[in-house]
Amino acid sequence: MTVRGIRVFAALIGLAAATPALAHTGSVVGGFFGGFAHPLLGPDHVIAMVAVGLWGAFLGAPAIYTLPVVFPLVMAAGGVLGILGVPLPGVEIGIATSAVILGMMVALAAQPPLWVAAVLVGAFAIFHGHAHGAELPADADAVAYSVGFVIATGCLHLAGIGFGLLAQWPAGRMAVRAAGGAIAIGGLMFLGRLA
Amino acid sequence: VIGRALLALALALISEPAQAHPPPLGIPGFFGGLLHPFFVPAHALAVTGLGLLIGMQIPHWGRTAAFGFVAALAAGLGMMTLGVVPRWMGEVLLVSAAITGVLAVLARMLPEVLGATIAIPIGIAVALDSPPEVISLREANLMLVGTGLGATLFLMAVMEVVARLKRPGPRLGARILGSWICAGAMLALALQLAR
Repeated sequence: MTVRGIRVFAALIGLAAATPALAHTGSVVGGFFGGFAHPLLGPDHVIAMVAVGLWGAFLGAPAIYTLPVVFPLVMAAGGVLGILGVPLPGVEIGIATSAVILGMMVALAAQPPLWVAAVLVGAFAIFHGHAHGAELPADADAVAYSVGFVIATGCLHLAGIGFGLLAQWPAGRMAVRAAGGAIAIGGLMFLGRLA
Repeated sequence: VIGRALLALALALISEPAQAHPPPLGIPGFFGGLLHPFFVPAHALAVTGLGLLIGMQIPHWGRTAAFGFVAALAAGLGMMTLGVVPRWMGEVLLVSAAITGVLAVLARMLPEVLGATIAIPIGIAVALDSPPEVISLREANLMLVGTGLGATLFLMAVMEVVARLKRPGPRLGARILGSWICAGAMLALALQLAR
């Protein structure tokens, strides 16, 4: 074999041994933390998730557990649509609008029937799920990523519920309503950026 | 000679080990098998969902579903030793997890036969989706025994803890966990099927 041949072979070995640089390694741990971080990195998602918890706590039982149960289930259905590439118009507008509407519900101390609240939250959950589903990395460990993703979403709801429980006291009620107002304003800002 | 050696080296570099699931925490043998159901997300999801479902139905249900799971697990591990090649076991686990999650959310009294009907495919799938990654027959058998024991202990622990939740708050927490399991399983299933 000539020197040139050896060099060609050496180059081939280098190419063969090289592996692609992967942001997501597909490992269970990386998949879980990648999924867990995903909902926390979008401020429009975060404020809407907290608003769901706040409103649930504000409405009291049974909304306090119905809304955080409805949201992940419907969000998963939206996520499936996003993963399968089924188009949904106005996803970003829907997400920003969810923060505005849910924030206003808390700020105005709105107390609609449970089914109205559940339908409203469920409708917005489709947009959130679709956006997340469309962004799920193809090379992550599917189960670990999804579990991390859902747990983070649930934790945001629980954070909202935790803060919303302050509504039992008059001063806390004002604080919760003020937080709802702030979320609505944040949603309006996100809507303004989209316009 | 050099050319052949380089070719062999190149082939050795591009070949990858056949992997089922990496041993949990790198622990081989019995203890690796014991930890396996806790560290493989699809297994953990399905077993937790089944434990939630059975635990929430106790005392209305007896332990038939749990015995069904253990019997199916043992049968699946036996099939594994006979060289049965598993296919679609991950998908079976995710579908089962989604069903158990929804049933846990609904928290309705259900016939016990339904629990056994769901427990049996989960038991078989957990077993068949746990191929030992070792060459030694003794080591492989130890891992399978560990997996059987680990999955059984896992189910019993979840089931007994949930069965002891009597106050409304923790019961609601179990239902919220059911919704997370269902949502995570749906997303993971869609992600796997989309690949």
